[in-house]
Amino acid sequence: MQARHVAGADLEALLDPAGRPWRGVRSERLALVGTPAGMQPSAAIRVAWTGKRIGAVDRVAVSSLHNGEVLAFRLEWQDATEDRALIDTNSFPDAAAVALPAAPEAPLVTMGAPGAAVNAWYWRADEDGRGRHVVAEGLGTSRTLDLERVRGRGVWKEGRWRVVVARPLRVATSEPVVQLEPGKTTRFAVAVWDGRSGERAGIKAFSAGWRELRLEPVARAGR
Amino acid sequence: MAKSKRQLAMVMDLNKCIGCQTCTIACKRLWTRDEGMEYMWWNTVNTMPGRGTPRDWEEMGGGFHQGQPRPGRLPTRREFGEAWDFNHEEVFFGGQGTQAHLKVAGEEPDWGPNWDEDQGAGEYPNAYYFYLPRICNHCTHPACLEACPRQAIVKREEDGIVLIDEDRCRGYRFCVEACPYKKIYFNHVKKVSQKCIFCFPRIEQGVANACARMCPGRVRFVGYRDDPNGPIAKLVDQWKVALPLHPEYGTEPNVFYVPPLAPPRFDEEGNLDESKPRIPDAYLISLFGPEVLRVLATLKTEMAKTRAGGKSELMDILIAYRWKDMFGGFDRDPATIEWTKA
Repeated sequence: MQARHVAGADLEALLDPAGRPWRGVRSERLALVGTPAGMQPSAAIRVAWTGKRIGAVDRVAVSSLHNGEVLAFRLEWQDATEDRALIDTNSFPDAAAVALPAAPEAPLVTMGAPGAAVNAWYWRADEDGRGRHVVAEGLGTSRTLDLERVRGRGVWKEGRWRVVVARPLRVATSEPVVQLEPGKTTRFAVAVWDGRSGERAGIKAFSAGWRELRLEPVARAGR
Repeated sequence: MAKSKRQLAMVMDLNKCIGCQTCTIACKRLWTRDEGMEYMWWNTVNTMPGRGTPRDWEEMGGGFHQGQPRPGRLPTRREFGEAWDFNHEEVFFGGQGTQAHLKVAGEEPDWGPNWDEDQGAGEYPNAYYFYLPRICNHCTHPACLEACPRQAIVKREEDGIVLIDEDRCRGYRFCVEACPYKKIYFNHVKKVSQKCIFCFPRIEQGVANACARMCPGRVRFVGYRDDPNGPIAKLVDQWKVALPLHPEYGTEPNVFYVPPLAPPRFDEEGNLDESKPRIPDAYLISLFGPEVLRVLATLKTEMAKTRAGGKSELMDILIAYRWKDMFGGFDRDPATIEWTKA
């Protein structure tokens, strides 16, 4: 997949899932699978979810753009219910994330490993507007680094979520996060949580392998 | 799993609880006044038999069965009981005199945290009930801690207090499902789970828990389980008269209860009938396990001793002649401490 370069698109335009920069952008369909119950990090979760369906959302359409400074992903999926607010003690919000390897050998299925982090750009429907900048080095180890660098915006309409998550290509930090550059290639994966089905944490649907993503080079300003 | 080196524990004597809720309010004013905590009662006192808080919590699963986690479900806010808003303004300042009455604003509630107070069970003149105060049990085998996928719950090595690290917690609520006592609350504003902290900031200063210290009935004993001179070891291990609630849940609680005796029954002629107990044995066994009958026999024996003019160490402990002896050394007066908020 390629993240097309759209010169001059500002962040706000990129964050609008129906915004002008996204018009005509080709999206790629990814099949999602539920995470295996047997791999959940606690026995209580394994017992509670064994034999239950994990991964209510089985496909997502992904497209990607960058403006030379920010990389944005747009995710689209069918969801009959919009679960935004935490309306009760037993309700959960819809959520989505894009994972990128912070180290070339970072394993996706275990959300990284010690010394080989996975960097996640996470959006949740009850926190719309902001996102979470997350790193994980193994199941159950995810840490939110900050709430500023990743932005996310979602629109639910007629049974369909359209969500954009975005982050600056490079961030100044000593944490193990992905650093990006136009013209270079990275890899990504996608996860979607269906709040109505009680999905949260490791109970999610994900694209089971890394996909290549090439960031289109920024054309030299030919003057 | 690593065990704590020492374990703080509490014993509650159900024969002395008068259901006044002073413990509940002491806790509320100290710990659960922030936004998102309105509906939380880390300490509850419910009438038993009764549906409890949250409603029918004993049917919600969690804990362990034959060493394996038993699936549980999440209570709803309605089942916990909402924090109602009252028309205080109208009643006190509305200028309507005796015409305005205190009532809950909005939808008429059909449940609350102490909804079935004093209903109990049985028929007159042999009706029965008792009060059951509950806090987090700070279990030795905490289902909440083991359920959390993020290690956001810790059991302190030095005293066994179980705490939720709100910086690690992501509000997933697997702990709420797993706790068979349903003593964990979800804060929908902070989006984290919260629960009784055994007043650890007080404990660290040598001050007993607010619920224990404020109790007018001298119901609650506090201390280290392994302190041979403290009240916990005496009641739980030496006299063996304090039992955990629902031991079959498999979490090994560190709150123990002295089970309730009850007045004798009346027979059809109105005479005392001591041939069977007022509170059915089967009911108490369902709460505290089969050991409860032995405990009740011990209590009766020791009571008879003192009635006959003899001495009973057990009765002396339970009566708690010396208030400070109830706190296992945590008897410092909190007024002597300058408290600062970190």
